[in-house]
Amino acid sequence: MATVTIKNVWKYYGETPAVKDLNITCPDGSFVSILGPSGCGKSSTMRMLAGLEHISAGDILFDDQRINDLAPKDRDVAMVFENYALYPHKTVYENIANPLRLRKASEDTIKARVTGAAKLLEISHLLERRPHELSGGQKQRVAIGRAIVREPKLFLFDEPIAHLDAKLRAHMRGEIKHLQRTLGTTMIYVTHDQLEALSMADYIAVMHDGELQQWGTPAEIFNHPVNAWVAGFVGEPAMNFLTCDIKGQGDDVLLRHSNFEIPLLPGQVRQLNGAAQAGTARMGVRPDALSISMTRPDEAAMQGEIFVNELLGGDMLVEVQLDDCRIRVKTTPEFEGKPGENCFLSVNRDKWHVFDAGDGHAYF
Amino acid sequence: MASRDVVSYDTPLSRALKVLAGLFLALYLVWTLLPFFVMFVSSFKDLLEAFKLPAVGDWAGITVFFEFTPTFKHYTSLFTENSFGTYILNSLIAAGGSAVISVIFGSLAAYSLSRVDFRGKQDLFFWIISTRMAPVVAVMVPLYAIFRSLDLVGTLPGLILAYTTFNLPFAIWILKGFFDNVPFAIEEAQMVDGSTRFQAFRSILPLVAPGIGAFVVLCILFAWNDFLFAAIIGSGGAKTLPVATRELVQPQNIQWGSIMAAGVVTTAPMMLLGLVIRKYLVTGLTMGAVKE
Repeated sequence: MATVTIKNVWKYYGETPAVKDLNITCPDGSFVSILGPSGCGKSSTMRMLAGLEHISAGDILFDDQRINDLAPKDRDVAMVFENYALYPHKTVYENIANPLRLRKASEDTIKARVTGAAKLLEISHLLERRPHELSGGQKQRVAIGRAIVREPKLFLFDEPIAHLDAKLRAHMRGEIKHLQRTLGTTMIYVTHDQLEALSMADYIAVMHDGELQQWGTPAEIFNHPVNAWVAGFVGEPAMNFLTCDIKGQGDDVLLRHSNFEIPLLPGQVRQLNGAAQAGTARMGVRPDALSISMTRPDEAAMQGEIFVNELLGGDMLVEVQLDDCRIRVKTTPEFEGKPGENCFLSVNRDKWHVFDAGDGHAYF
Repeated sequence: MASRDVVSYDTPLSRALKVLAGLFLALYLVWTLLPFFVMFVSSFKDLLEAFKLPAVGDWAGITVFFEFTPTFKHYTSLFTENSFGTYILNSLIAAGGSAVISVIFGSLAAYSLSRVDFRGKQDLFFWIISTRMAPVVAVMVPLYAIFRSLDLVGTLPGLILAYTTFNLPFAIWILKGFFDNVPFAIEEAQMVDGSTRFQAFRSILPLVAPGIGAFVVLCILFAWNDFLFAAIIGSGGAKTLPVATRELVQPQNIQWGSIMAAGVVTTAPMMLLGLVIRKYLVTGLTMGAVKE
């Protein structure tokens, strides 16, 4: 159990910065996900936490202890690797027992802990097998078993379920989250899959190009992204972006596109704070904040042509050609529009976002 | 996984090629095995019997070759009149010693070259293997001078050192390939689990064991069969089997029987070794090449 503080940390590979001035505080016992595309610096961050890479600048603290110069074995962290990294020549039992053996635990303790961990992970029947006799999901459980058997200060999970098939991945998401709650150990979980981060974490750190973009709870990240990049990365299907003009008209402020003119809500006008008055901006709206109909619901509706319908089981995703761009709308499978037909879209203005056209930061 | 069968269909040409291949293999077998056979049989013959050979073209006379009373006297004389017991021991110590030393230093060096990036690594690696590019004879004279000034000529440590000089680059070269194929994550997992770098290195040794095994065998073969080093560096105090065998050829008297017996004594252990570790040797030599 530890509070992990990452203070002004930089990581350079040669001249190339991989992590730029990172500041994160992970509260004791929390489940923190570091989310970002490949090459965003999330794995470098994790490896610096584990002690597998040197920290180029800045400090990492576990509680009040600075761990920059400690060897991995002295940091009391446990890590689960993307490719599991099991010892191929050892049985499952010996793999899980390894951290305890290295710490010279007594044989009784080892047996008790290994069988306990195996029971928790439902792999008791596999203890005598070797890694090559296991399926991907089983290997992953063994890797987790090896991590939890020692009761470390901090868990580091590096995309542990990225290689599992979709169904097993969904199952393991729940398992890992439950495990973390049960053990109450601080966990830092690196992933590129926004769904994993949103569904499992207490807090998410979104990284891009080595920089922390946003820190917050999953709901904050999803509902109030700080910039257009975060808004576009988080959420599936992805947010729609439309470049619009901002135009004052009497007391109203309108978002004007070649296809539509929609006034902002009064609170949103205040949040805009005059900054982007009479300029261009990017309007962002998630597919589920739009509704589609075949008849014009009101004057402000956007008008387009259905490009394609995708049935996603319980939902239908409709791609609509809106002048020169396409936007995606989530609707029910009962929607009857056919490709090529005219349709109308109305937007839930409580759930839309406006981003600066230049640096992409969010006004709301 | 797709089937690994190589599918082939018979054609007249392929059938003819098969017959030819069979013929070639039969000839090749005779060509390679006959010398060993002659050596083995002759080692049990008296001097006169050994030279009873049929005339050229007299195929029926081939039975003459098998008309002899088996005798072990050549073998006994090797160990009584000559000290072949000592020579076998010398050969074993020289071959085994250099193999052990080469494996220890070779795996350490190969691991470093595989895992650590430092300036000039490529150059260093090339330099290490380039020491094997000169033929042994080319460096023999300077090597002899150096060894003599260090009082290493005619001693087993001298011979071990000489073999190690030539085996170590080979060890580094082979073992680096094996270490390259071990995922970094396994050591990293070890280190996070609580081991030091050295313990992590030791923990992955089982994964390169086939490579180490293959190398040890090649190293022992090189030293065991070597004549040049043994004759020049080892001459005198550290006589090995090939040199001792050569000394059975004396100006007045070539002891054919003893030479044949010595040949058997020299060859048999390596053949047995080869049979025992054949399976591992093949995995070892192919595993490095194919990434799993």
